[in-house]
Amino acid sequence: MSPKPVRAREARTIIIEIDHRPVSCPEGVSVLRAAELGGIAIPSLCSHKDLSAFGGCRLCMVEIEGMRGYPLACSTIVAEGMKVLTESAALRDMRREILELILSEHPSSCLICDEQEECRQSMVTIRKAGVSTGCRYCPNDGQCELQAVVERLGVRDIHYPVYYRGYEAEHDDPFFDRDYNICILCGRCVRMCQEVRGASVLAFKFRGPKTQVGPAFGRSHLESGCEFCGACVSVCPTGTLADKVSKWDGRPDGFKISTCPFCGLGCQIELHHKNGRLSRVNPGLDPEINNGQLCVRGRFCLPETTHHHQRAKKPGLRRGRYFREVTWAEALDEVSSRLKGLGPKDILMVVSSDLTNESLFAAQKFMRTCLKSNSIDSTARWTLPGGVGLWASLFSLPISIKAISSAEAIIAVGLDSRFSFSVAGVEVRRALKEGSTLVTIDSNESNLARYTGHWLRPAPEKQGAAFKLLTERLLASGQKKGSSADLKKTGLDEEGLEKAVDALWPARDLAVVVGPAAFAQDGGQDIARALVKLSERPNTTILPLYQGANTRGALELGVFGEFLPGLARAKEPGLRLADVLEGKAKPKVIYLVGEVPFFKRPDCEFVISQDIYHPPFEVDAFLPASSFAEAEGTLTNVEGRVQELVRVEDLPDSASNGFSRPDWFIFGEISKKLSCPGLEYADSKQVLQEISRTVAGYPAAPDRRPRRFKPAENIPWDKPPASPSPAAEDGFRLVVEPGGFRHRGIDLSSVVEGLSELRLEEAFRLHPEDMQRLGLQNGDIIKVGLDGWAVTAPVRADADCFAGAVYIHRPLAYGGIGHRRGLEPLYRLSGDSLRVKIARGEQPAGQSCVLPGPGKTGS
Amino acid sequence: MPARNAKSLEAQRSRAAEEWAALQNNSRPVIYVGAGSCGLAAGAEEVIEAMESYLAKNKIEADLLRVGCIGPCYLEPLVDIQMPGRPRISYSNNTPALIQDVLESFFEKGEVYQRRLVGHLGADGGDGLPRFFDHPMLARQVRIVLRNCGIIDPENTGHYLARDGYRAFEKCLTLPWTEVLDIVKKSGLRGRGGAGFPTWRKWQICRENESDTRYMICNADEGDPGAFMNRSLIEGDPHAVLEGLLIAGYTIGARQGTIYIRAEYPLAIERLRRALADMRELGLLGERILGSDFSFDIKIKEGAGAFVCGEETALIAGIEGRRGMPRTRPPFPAQEGLWGKPTIINNVETLATLPHIIRHGAEWFSQYGTETSKGTKTFSLVGKVRRTGLIEVPLGMTLRSVIYDVGGGLVKEFKAVQTGGPSGGCLSEEFLDLPIDYESLTAAGSIMGSGGLIVVDRNTCIVDTAKYFLNFTQAESCGKCVPCRVGTRHLVHILERISQGKGELDDLAKLEHLARSIKGGSLCGLGQTAPNPVLSTIRYFRDEFLAHIKDKRCPAAVCRDLVVYRIIKDKCTGCQRCVQVCPTGAISGPRSEAHNLDESKCIKCRSCYEICRFDAIAGDAIVIESRA
Repeated sequence: MSPKPVRAREARTIIIEIDHRPVSCPEGVSVLRAAELGGIAIPSLCSHKDLSAFGGCRLCMVEIEGMRGYPLACSTIVAEGMKVLTESAALRDMRREILELILSEHPSSCLICDEQEECRQSMVTIRKAGVSTGCRYCPNDGQCELQAVVERLGVRDIHYPVYYRGYEAEHDDPFFDRDYNICILCGRCVRMCQEVRGASVLAFKFRGPKTQVGPAFGRSHLESGCEFCGACVSVCPTGTLADKVSKWDGRPDGFKISTCPFCGLGCQIELHHKNGRLSRVNPGLDPEINNGQLCVRGRFCLPETTHHHQRAKKPGLRRGRYFREVTWAEALDEVSSRLKGLGPKDILMVVSSDLTNESLFAAQKFMRTCLKSNSIDSTARWTLPGGVGLWASLFSLPISIKAISSAEAIIAVGLDSRFSFSVAGVEVRRALKEGSTLVTIDSNESNLARYTGHWLRPAPEKQGAAFKLLTERLLASGQKKGSSADLKKTGLDEEGLEKAVDALWPARDLAVVVGPAAFAQDGGQDIARALVKLSERPNTTILPLYQGANTRGALELGVFGEFLPGLARAKEPGLRLADVLEGKAKPKVIYLVGEVPFFKRPDCEFVISQDIYHPPFEVDAFLPASSFAEAEGTLTNVEGRVQELVRVEDLPDSASNGFSRPDWFIFGEISKKLSCPGLEYADSKQVLQEISRTVAGYPAAPDRRPRRFKPAENIPWDKPPASPSPAAEDGFRLVVEPGGFRHRGIDLSSVVEGLSELRLEEAFRLHPEDMQRLGLQNGDIIKVGLDGWAVTAPVRADADCFAGAVYIHRPLAYGGIGHRRGLEPLYRLSGDSLRVKIARGEQPAGQSCVLPGPGKTGS
Repeated sequence: MPARNAKSLEAQRSRAAEEWAALQNNSRPVIYVGAGSCGLAAGAEEVIEAMESYLAKNKIEADLLRVGCIGPCYLEPLVDIQMPGRPRISYSNNTPALIQDVLESFFEKGEVYQRRLVGHLGADGGDGLPRFFDHPMLARQVRIVLRNCGIIDPENTGHYLARDGYRAFEKCLTLPWTEVLDIVKKSGLRGRGGAGFPTWRKWQICRENESDTRYMICNADEGDPGAFMNRSLIEGDPHAVLEGLLIAGYTIGARQGTIYIRAEYPLAIERLRRALADMRELGLLGERILGSDFSFDIKIKEGAGAFVCGEETALIAGIEGRRGMPRTRPPFPAQEGLWGKPTIINNVETLATLPHIIRHGAEWFSQYGTETSKGTKTFSLVGKVRRTGLIEVPLGMTLRSVIYDVGGGLVKEFKAVQTGGPSGGCLSEEFLDLPIDYESLTAAGSIMGSGGLIVVDRNTCIVDTAKYFLNFTQAESCGKCVPCRVGTRHLVHILERISQGKGELDDLAKLEHLARSIKGGSLCGLGQTAPNPVLSTIRYFRDEFLAHIKDKRCPAAVCRDLVVYRIIKDKCTGCQRCVQVCPTGAISGPRSEAHNLDESKCIKCRSCYEICRFDAIAGDAIVIESRA
């Protein structure tokens, strides 16, 4: 039995006296926090609201009646009637002395340089070396907490020699640079990494004056398991840690709170802007979802995604053999003329599940009212394995991110939160810190599996079955139930399962987190059924995760041929993307909105692409769409919150700024040309208001409250897909996962350099032992397939993988693996966990190309 | 047969007592070798080899026992020979060649060898030989904690049992914990680790904390330069510490004990491991010890060698597998310690004292010592005294007594005594009559510390001494808090300047100011006491600092930048040895004539000085003098 979780009770309020003023504060807080509540600021550099007391900087020393010496405000807990003095001559001297000591270890030209003021005023460039005057020693000038404290304490010169540590600045890892010469060793980053993120990558190394922060044993961040979440960068009070993209930007002009457009969690972010452009992203402090935390994508990938040099900026048209940049008027004329007079099945529009609600709604309305066609489809079908019906059911269950951290027990299925859905992982660890129980079901050695003694490891395609079994046992009051045959099929052992059930059973609040990979295998039906069942248990919340930022929005807004907004049935279903891929339908026009579901130009008369990047094949018309930073709108997160996407870039059209337009606006413009009324929205707010009128339960303005989905009618679940492949017993299991790092049809690692440094580029993945046995090296090209079809792509080793299985992400996006041409057949695979053969893609002469199967290890 | 209850332990003990008695009234020769770290460092291993080969060659059957340090380390390697019917006779400073003579004398001539004889360890009489414990170094000592050290074979648990081992623990098992606490309270025992907090108070706080689990930790992370009391004690009598740990664990209601010991003490660790294995065999560890309700286990945690890990919270962090960094207190470990549970950390010596207090009673213990500092205290007496070693004296004895009576005084003029290691201070001659107790030492600006006593003479530079200790603490600072990490570095920097003759008049004020900031601002004991060596030396040896600063002179002729090398013409025989070793050609002169030393070329490498002193014909013709 795990120890009974200790939960913070509602704290009693007590009154203490600070600087002769009564201050009321909850019991158990530090003097520092109490002072803060009372509006009294005590200088401090090492304390942070999310972190445990450290007591390293010594600046927050105070005098407390009845206590010896100078106790620290950060680590002294308040007591009723305590009398605290935060300012006195002795304290001031002591603080100044200590600050001088800190500065004597911190090259401090930014503080005492004679040119300081001028330097700041004339600092008009964002280059590393100032053009007009002075230097830019530290990227944090003007945003530095140390500078603020120095100013406050009025230290003007230092009576000690200044030591320069002489470390080489570290630039080798992606996303953020480190210059430990200016580190003041406050330990915030170390504590953040250990206490909040649970990654424990950063530690103190060496001792005495040689003390330094960094991964132990001189390893790189990458090797040490860094999540590159940037939490350390965010809490660094100096310029020691700085993100590469924006480090020399200087102090931003301001920031706006927005929503991260990269996944369905909908984390709140601070979009910092400088000179009208997005400069950097910091986590939003809103406690509802991410509470000051982010993942690598949200923290570091946004500016590069919108500012990449390959970003499509101007409309373009194909004229004969040439593709030319044209004006919007020309492009719209051409597109509208092509769309005129098409029959309902002469066109297929494919929309991305990363679009805003407004754009999605406008897209389907455009199709249905202007073109009188239901031939709209969304790749949300791929990101929601199991089908629309199944997910409509899941979205009507109590879904909560925040509930995880307060749950007494958590079940995590198929989720690795190192780089994706990190915030959910942080919540899990937060709960573990409070004494919660975690049971992980994962065929891979995910990072969450490493935090629990209850790791159930079924075969890759049996995760659903294993979860179902666990749920059944749990709901059957912990009694043994179910045949041993069921157990055997999942590959779990009785003892482990029983222990897990015993550990979960006493918990009052239960939270279940299911990663996208788990749904993809096995058709997701077992998992979904178990989730529905489990939700009937009181005090239970679920968190089913999927790829795509606005997939839930896409589902609720009915961007499918057979479903209208609110998931009402369409009278006459239109074409589906699958029909085109399978060659069952051949529309004249294909209109791709933010999605590139083809590797080569689809066979049709006219292809329109409306996106932020050009697709990898020739199109007839290209319409540049606004990115998340350039347009307003809303995104619906997994919990049903309708959250705002805020525009931070508002620059006039130009060759460098681009000529992009919001997707919904473009539809309006085309509709005007087609003389079709109803789409002339003045702004995105009007679209949302219309959505609210059309779809029951949708708010008329951004509304951050979680919302349970009520479909217009009951939608039956899809039939589970039949495995089309004959069982080749000695073959490898092929696991086709949703995912990868994608946004609007592009593989983010193709535009964000750091992601490929993290080796997150897509490829086949195999367990290192399998690789060794097959004689494969990272980067070798392999051919995977059976019965006449084959997929060719590079392979890399991944120790987390299940031995005997070969993993790949379902190809939906452009970029990455050699433009993905070798992956084509995967489109047509609907079944999961096929048994496949692996061969060398480019076999050396004279060698057999077919490699042996996994043998016993995989079964 | 392993003992599993009190009765079988008693049986084991009486068997052990018989064996011990047989060893005292031996029928065949017994040889004891001081093979603690001090003995081994002095060459005990070679001596043992020589003895073994002698015995083998002459086919003599004798028992050879390796015992721990008996105290006078300067006499090591000590070898005691006990012929049948004769008392155990101790010989000092043995070498393989010398021991040959001793053995020949005993085994071939049948005579007691007279040279280098220290004394006999038998009962009175002893063939008219002097008693070992009447040796001037030992005569004034009161050996309670060190009772067994050097006497018994530390690897033979029977020896410990025979000498009333574990009787105190057995007695405790029959008493309620409150009563044990009461005995300790009445005894007046205070923590021997340095701070001198009353042991019973700490225990009581811990025991009265509501908790399902409590932990007991033995702090054997002895890190002070020049201190070796704990190491010698563990090496010489490991069971005394372990019995104390059991008693403490019983009193505070712990089930788990941990010994945090420096990995640099391999012999002590090895002895502890053996002792623990024997305890397990005897049923003194594990579930329901000796049939009582008390269950206890002990494990060893080897520290990776950080001075700061002697600090309680850093030590706990180390056991928990984290970096050894102190945290702020409160909460104190007695409230929230190891794994967040109430934890008591006692020093090795504190624990080893416990069995004696329990066995003999609180009154017996408190007869030693002063009003506020009861009992005895072990010290490692080192430096420029004639007799260095491990000593145990009643608290309240004066420094003079310890240095001159026990330590035999100095060869040269006394200058200072450093107590308490890097956290302590340097006391000058005027404090020689200061009684050694917690309060007096603190009042004088030093501390008792764990028991290092370093005596220095006029050839030691006080600035250099302060610099040495500060260098140590700044290098051993964990780096967590600013005053300690950065402040000590600046202290060293200023001291370095002074010793280079670059000191300025306000440096002393700067040092004192900074030292006070570090004391007041640091997080843990390391930082709070780190400036003590500076403060105390400035306080008592201000003149010497001023000599460095104002006159650019080092009176002790130590600070390299402030000394000159000179050849005394009258003494120099012109043997050319110094000319040969001088790396810069600063010394010149024809053979058999007094040499010249060119100061401008001299880099003060000391080569000529050393060679003249030890190898040259004249000797001491080269002197190092303070610059005029």
